[in-house]
This record gives sequence, structure tokens and C-alpha cells, in this order.
Amino acid sequence: MRSKIDKILLIILLIAFSVSIYLIFQWVPQIKASNPAEQIAQRIFYFHVPSAWLGFLAFFVVFCGSVAYLATRNRKYELISVASAEIGVLFISLVLITGPIWAKPVWGIWWTWDVRLTSSLILWLIYVAFLMLRRYLPDGSKRANLSAVVGIIGFTDVPIVYYSIRWWETQHPKAVMASSEGSLAAPMFFAFMFSLATFTLLYVYLIRKRYQLLTLEDTLNKQFKEMEIL
Amino acid sequence: MMRTAISILKKDLRMEFRSKESILAMWIFSLLIFVIFNFTFEVSRLVMLEIAPGLLWVAFVFSGMFGLNQSFALEKENGNLRAMALMPVDGGQIYVGKFFSVTIIMLMFEALIFPIFIIFYDLQLSLGMFRLIPVLLAGTIGFTSLGTILSAVAVHTRNQQILLSLLLWPLVSPIIIWSVTLTGMVLSGEVTEAFYPLLLRVGAFDVIFFTLSYMLFDFILED
Repeated sequence: MRSKIDKILLIILLIAFSVSIYLIFQWVPQIKASNPAEQIAQRIFYFHVPSAWLGFLAFFVVFCGSVAYLATRNRKYELISVASAEIGVLFISLVLITGPIWAKPVWGIWWTWDVRLTSSLILWLIYVAFLMLRRYLPDGSKRANLSAVVGIIGFTDVPIVYYSIRWWETQHPKAVMASSEGSLAAPMFFAFMFSLATFTLLYVYLIRKRYQLLTLEDTLNKQFKEMEIL
Repeated sequence: MMRTAISILKKDLRMEFRSKESILAMWIFSLLIFVIFNFTFEVSRLVMLEIAPGLLWVAFVFSGMFGLNQSFALEKENGNLRAMALMPVDGGQIYVGKFFSVTIIMLMFEALIFPIFIIFYDLQLSLGMFRLIPVLLAGTIGFTSLGTILSAVAVHTRNQQILLSLLLWPLVSPIIIWSVTLTGMVLSGEVTEAFYPLLLRVGAFDVIFFTLSYMLFDFILED
């Protein structure tokens, strides 16, 4: 199953991650902050934001996979959704871990019930429930159908959750990319984009690997079943 | 056209009125929540007024799980779930029937527990309290529209009850957040101009959840 593409991807990833770590910790200039801890903590931004982006991307893929599954009943799409949900949960977990690490020195607290934090946590809970549902169900088309339905409802709910908490006061830094006032300095922007691209590539690699593994499991299960029949 | 939905609704309501299982269980459970809450948080009356709307919805949500769990668990008992799946009708109709029966049972339970809530927490009754009716209606419909479809999902698993909570609570959190805010406005008598747009918003999401569940329900029944 080890394809050439995976090997090439892995090599590119190794190089890209080394470069992005160099960019983040050496190349990017120190930010101006009164608190020295904040200057260091700020660099977590290059991991935190790409992880969040990756989480959303992964959950969007779950949604697309679920719709495609219900439309075609092709097991391939089911496996893609599952692989993507697992990766999404992993990266939203990383968001929920890196966030407090940054918040403690800067805000002085690990956690606050702010819109971004709360909605990320709820998002995480939704997809953990999605994965747990799959654990509690026996393998088969029933499981595929049920999880596809939850995958669709779950993603539809994401903007609603965000919207419902939005009017609470927000402490979270604004989206620096989108807003006009605080735009990133050129080197920071470059390092950020580089990190974002690296993470996206990592997603491609991970989902390929996970998908292959799930297909292998499938083949193995099929063979076991055949042996049982004999 | 809606004949299947209506017969399911009739059947469920008849069963409930004969046994009173769900409503009674929900009612007693809510009472317990109020009692336990009183023991665990000994707060002054002023603080109580502030947290009362949240407490009311905690009672509704926790107790509502009984009704939701029951709704499809009952069908599973004698293989009726399979029979339903085999019926030559649109799965959406089964959803509609189930949705209305769960919603009606839950609204009746809410009507029965609300006087107790008023007495326990010494809230002042006023004419403005009538505004609570659309709030409870909208919040409950949001809760049950998602709850009904997820109950049908969870019923296929070994750990039905816990899984339904895990699936439903994060998804329904926006509805609960808004309902608590609206209930707070009514109970404190400070109904601002934000009230009706917010109520409308809950209504709009009720429609979205209902339509989505209606469309997807067919996939849950088939094997």
C-alpha cells in the first residue's frame, strides 16, 4: 500500500516542518510586548491558528463525505468522513491545548467562556460524539447511514453555535488576517502562511494514511468473515 | 397525506395517557433537580432570581431526555422499529409523528412543573408571564426536533441513553442559550426590544432543524 506519492509527501513534510520551525523561532522578529512571556508565547500563534483551520477543513470534509455517502452509498466516502473526523478532533484538541498555553501568560487565566473558546469546545464535543457513536454501533450500512446523518447535522450546527455565543463579550484576539486595523508584518505573514500550507499538507498526508489503514482493516475483516464461513 | 404521522402521534399519546410513564418520570425528576439544586447551592433570593431561568432549562433538558429516550426505545421492544422501517411510507412521516408526540408530552410536563417552579422560587406572577409561552414553545420545539432524530440514531446503539445526551447537548446548545436568555428577560420583567428578534431567531432555527431532520430521517430507518 505504500505508494510513491506518500513517500514524496512525507519527505516534503519533513522539510517543510523544519523550515517552518526555523521561520517561527528564528526568522520572525520579536513582537513588541511589555510582557516578556508574551513575546515568547505569541509564537504559538503559528501552530494554534493553522490547527484551527485544519480542524474546520477536516469537519467540512466530514460533511462533504457524509453527503456523498448518502447520495452514492459508496463505502469510500464513509471511510473518508471517518478519517477526517478523527483528524479534525485531533487538531481541535491541539487548538484547545495550545490556546490555554498562550492565554495563561497573556490573559493570566487558562480558560474563559468567550465565544471562540466556547464554540471550539462545543465543536470538539460534537465530533467526539460522532466518533463515539461509531464505536457503539456494529460495522455495516446502518452505521454508515447513522454517522452520515450526524455528520451532516453536526456541520450545519457549527455556524449556529458560533452565532449563538457571539454576542458575549469577546476576549479572543481578532482575526488579524481579515481585519484592516491590525495587519501582520510581512515576515510574520509569510511565516504564518508557510505554517498554514505545511499544516494543510500534513492533513492531506494524514487523511491518505488513515484512509489506507481503514481500507486495509476492511479487507482484513472481509477475509476473516470468509474464513468463518468456510 | 399525513395519515401515518397522525396515527403514530395518536398511538403515542394514547400510550402516554394510559401509563403516564414519561410525564410522571419527567415531573418527579425535575422536582428532584430543584431539591438537589437547593442543597448544593445555598444562594440568596436575589442570586436565585438571576439563575432561575437557567435552572428551569436545566430541569427541562435533563427531564426531556426521558421522553426522548423513551420515544424510540418503546418501538424497539417488540421489533416495532423494523416494522416501521418496512412500512411503505415516507420516513419523514414517522419523524413528524414522533416529533409531535414527544413535543406535546414535553410541553405538558413543562406546564405541570412550572407552577411548582413558581412556588419554590417565589417568583411573582404577572400578565407579562404570558410571554413565556412562545419562549417555551420555541425552545422546546428546537430541543425536540433535533432530539427526535438523534434519539432514532441512538436507539440503535448499546448505550442509548448516554449517547443521546452526548450527541444532543452540544448540538442543541444554541437553542438552550437563547431560550435561557429569553426566559430570563420574561422572569425579570425586563423585556427589551431584543426580545422579539431573538424569539424569531429561535423559531427560524427550529424550522431549520425540523426540515433537516425531516429530510434525513429516511436514511436512519433503512438497513
